[in-house]
Amino acid sequence: MARHPVITGLGVIASPGCGVNTIWDAVTNHRDGLKPLTLFPSPRHGADQVGEVQLDLLNLGAPRNASRGDRLGWLAAREAIQSAGITAEHFGDRAGIVFGCSVGGSFDSERFLIQLIKEGKFRPRPTRFHECHSTADLIADSFGLYGPSMTISTACSSSALAIAAAAEMIQAGEADVMLTGGADSLARMTWGGFHALLLVDGQGCRPFDAHRGGMSLGEGAGVLVLEAEETALRRGAKILARLSGWGASCDAHHVTAPHPEGAGALAAMRAALRRAGLNAAQIDYVNAHGTGTRDNDLAESKALKSLFGERVPPFSSSKRFFGHSLAASGAIEAVVCVEALRHQQMPANPGFKEIDPAIGLTPVLQTTAAKLTHVMSNSFGFGGNNAVLIFSTPEAGQRPRAATLAPVNITSIGLVGPGGVAAVETTAPLAVAKLSAHSCNPLPGADKLSPNQRRRLGRIHQMAILAARASHAPAPEQRVAVALGTGLGCLAEGAAFIENYVAKDEAEPMPSRFPGSVHNAPAGQIAMDLGARALNSAPTAGSITFECALWQARRQLEADEADVALAGTVDELQNYLLVIGKRWGVWTEKTLPGEGAVVARLSTGATTTDPVARVTALRLGRFRRPFDAAREVEWIAESVELSTIDLLVTGAGGWPVLEPSYAAVAREIFRHAGRTIAQETYKAACGEFYSASGFGFVAAVQAAVGRRLRVLLYTLSPRGGKALCVVEPAAAL
Amino acid sequence: MPVSKTELKTRIIEALNLQDITPEQIEDEAPLFGTGLGLDSIDALELVVMLEKHYGIIIKGIEEGGPAFRSVQALADFIDARRASTT
Repeated sequence: MARHPVITGLGVIASPGCGVNTIWDAVTNHRDGLKPLTLFPSPRHGADQVGEVQLDLLNLGAPRNASRGDRLGWLAAREAIQSAGITAEHFGDRAGIVFGCSVGGSFDSERFLIQLIKEGKFRPRPTRFHECHSTADLIADSFGLYGPSMTISTACSSSALAIAAAAEMIQAGEADVMLTGGADSLARMTWGGFHALLLVDGQGCRPFDAHRGGMSLGEGAGVLVLEAEETALRRGAKILARLSGWGASCDAHHVTAPHPEGAGALAAMRAALRRAGLNAAQIDYVNAHGTGTRDNDLAESKALKSLFGERVPPFSSSKRFFGHSLAASGAIEAVVCVEALRHQQMPANPGFKEIDPAIGLTPVLQTTAAKLTHVMSNSFGFGGNNAVLIFSTPEAGQRPRAATLAPVNITSIGLVGPGGVAAVETTAPLAVAKLSAHSCNPLPGADKLSPNQRRRLGRIHQMAILAARASHAPAPEQRVAVALGTGLGCLAEGAAFIENYVAKDEAEPMPSRFPGSVHNAPAGQIAMDLGARALNSAPTAGSITFECALWQARRQLEADEADVALAGTVDELQNYLLVIGKRWGVWTEKTLPGEGAVVARLSTGATTTDPVARVTALRLGRFRRPFDAAREVEWIAESVELSTIDLLVTGAGGWPVLEPSYAAVAREIFRHAGRTIAQETYKAACGEFYSASGFGFVAAVQAAVGRRLRVLLYTLSPRGGKALCVVEPAAAL
Repeated sequence: MPVSKTELKTRIIEALNLQDITPEQIEDEAPLFGTGLGLDSIDALELVVMLEKHYGIIIKGIEEGGPAFRSVQALADFIDARRASTT
C-alpha cells in the first residue's frame, strides 16, 4: 500500500523571532529581521545587515550542552513536536530524523581556534559539537527518536534535500513519523567566506531588484513533522499540508556560480513536478531561492521562464525577512509555504523596488490573498546543488508518485585507501607533534588529475574524484546521481580558511578555500568531473555515513530519477583531528586514525549488464543507551534472515567505546541463528574514521563476489547511529 | 613609477598556485581568463585579495575589477591608474 507524507507539525526560529505565529506575523506585516551583527566582532563588515537571532536561546529552554546551531535546531524541533501533538508513545523505532546542516558547530569550534591562535592556549572543549550531524543526534536523543537518522550537508539546499529524503523514508515504510528540516547558526567561517566571495550586500539583500548587490546572511532553524498519511489519520492529527513533490539536480558547472541559464534549477523543478504528478500550470505560487546575488536571481528567473513560459506564477523570495540562513533556509521557507497554504496568502518580496530588464519579472510586492492549492519552494546551493519541494493543501489530494523497491546492483567499486601506517607531523598553530595514522599520502594517481584540479583542490576532493573515476566511466545521456557522504568534511580547507581569518582579523581572506570547505564540495567536484547532473548529496552521520549515502543513492534508482547512482564516502586526516583526538583519548596505540574514499557504482537491473554483487537489505536507525544487544538483534532480524548469513562484517576493532556493544551483538546473533557465524573486521587495514564503513562495504562485496557469501555488514556510530546492510553475490546463491 | 609586470606575474602565479607556469610564459596581452590560463571567477577573487595585499588596492565588487583582469597589461595599467588617483 502506498504511503504518503503529510505535514502535521511545524517549528521555526529565525531573526524576526521564535515560533511559527511570530514568524508568519513578521512575514505578513513586512517586518524583516535584519540588523547589524552583534554575535562576534567583525572589524571590516560589522555594520552589514544580517539576520541574527538576538534571543537568549538558553532562556527559551535550549539545552546547555550543545552548540549554537544545535540549540536553534532543538528549539524548532520542540515547537514542531508540540504543534503536531505527538507524544513519546508515537516515537521509538518508527520515528526518525533527517536534518539539514552545513555550518555545524563551527561557531563554537571557532572559539577554540581563537584561543589557540591569539593566546597560544590549547582548549579543545568547544569543538565537541563540531560535526554537522550533532544537531540531529541531539534532537533524536532528546525526544526519543530511534528510527532512521541522518544529516544532509549540501550547503544552501541541505534542508530541502533533507525534507525530500525524509519523505522517501516514509514512502519506503521505514518510519511513520520523521522530524525533518534544518538548522544553521552564523559563524565566522560563513561570514568571512561569503564576504571573501564578494557576495554580500551590506545594506541588506534586494532579491530580483535591478540594483541588487548580493545576499544577507542569516541563521535559524525550521522543522517539519512529516507523517505517513494513514498514521496521521489514525491518531486524529490535523494535517496542515501535503508534501506532494520533490526534485533534485546538479548543475555540474561551477563550485559557486549557478549555471547561467539556470539549467540545473529547471531540471530540479521539473523533477519535483514529475514526482507530484502535476504540470507547471498547476503551480499557484513559487517561493524562490532569490538570494539577491546578481547570478542567482538572473539564473533562477531564466529557469522560471523556461518552465512556465509567458505565465510565470506569482513568486517571491523570503530572504530579506530572515537573511540567508544557508542549510536552514529551505526548511524555514517550507514553513512559510505551509503557512501560505493555510492562510491562503502569498508573502511579499521585501527589498524589491525596481524591475531588472534582464529579469523582466516582478515578484509579489505585498502580502496578497490568493487561491493557493500547490506551491513550489526552491533551494539552490554551492556546487550547483538544486532541490525543489512542492506543498499542497490537504484537500488537494495530490500524492507523490511511489517508488518501487528493488534490489540494487553494485557494478563496480572505486577506492582510494591508506597505503599503510605513516608518521604524520602536525604544524603551526599547534605545537609540532608526530602521530601515527593510516595515510593516503602520497595520493596514488594524482598525476591523472587536470592542472586546475591539482592546483586548486585539496586532497579530500582529489581522493573523491579518483575514487569516483575508478568506479564509473561517464556515458552520454546517462542520468548519474551522486551521494557522497563525509563524516567530518573538508577539514584542511576549512581550517586553512578560518586560521587565516582569525590570524589576520578578516584581512586577506582566502576565497578559493571557502567553497572547498563545505561538506558537499567533494560530491560537487565528482559531478563536474563526471558530468553527473541528477541528485548530488552529501549525507553525514558519524560512522554510518557510508550507509546513509548508499540509502540515498539507492532511492534515486528506485524512483527512476537516475540510471546510475554513485554511493560513497570520503574523509581526510588533519592536524586538529589528530591532536584533539589524542587529547581526548580517541586515538590510542591500537586505534589509529585513517582516511580515504570509497565510491560504489549502483544501478538497477534494467540498465546493468554485469552486476558484481547486490544489496538486498539496508536499514538505518539509532541504538538505545544502555546498549541492549537482544533488542538490537531483534531489530536486525526484522530485515534479515539471520540463519542465511555466512559472514558478519562489523566495525569492531576501532574505537574502544563500541567494542563491548559489537561483541554483545555478535554473541546474540549467534544465539539467534543457532550457530556461530564467521566474522571479519576491517579497521586494522584502513584505520578508524567516520568513512571506515565504506571499507567494510568493500570487504563485504569482496567476500560476496570472491567467496560467494551472503554478508551482513553491521555498523555502530559513537553518537548513536546504527546501520545494517546485506550484500550477496549478483547471481542467486 | 609603473608597476613591474614581472613582479605582477610572480604575484599572480603565487596567488593562484599556478604550479607549472613561470612568469616568462605569461604574455602581457594574453587573456588571463577563459581560454588563456583557464582561470575562473574564484581566481578573480584571489586576484582581488592579491591586489589588496601587495598593492593596497581595495575592490568592493567583482564588476569593479572586471576589465582589469583581462590581461597582465590591463592589470598593470589598472594598478598604475589607481595609484595615480590616490597620490
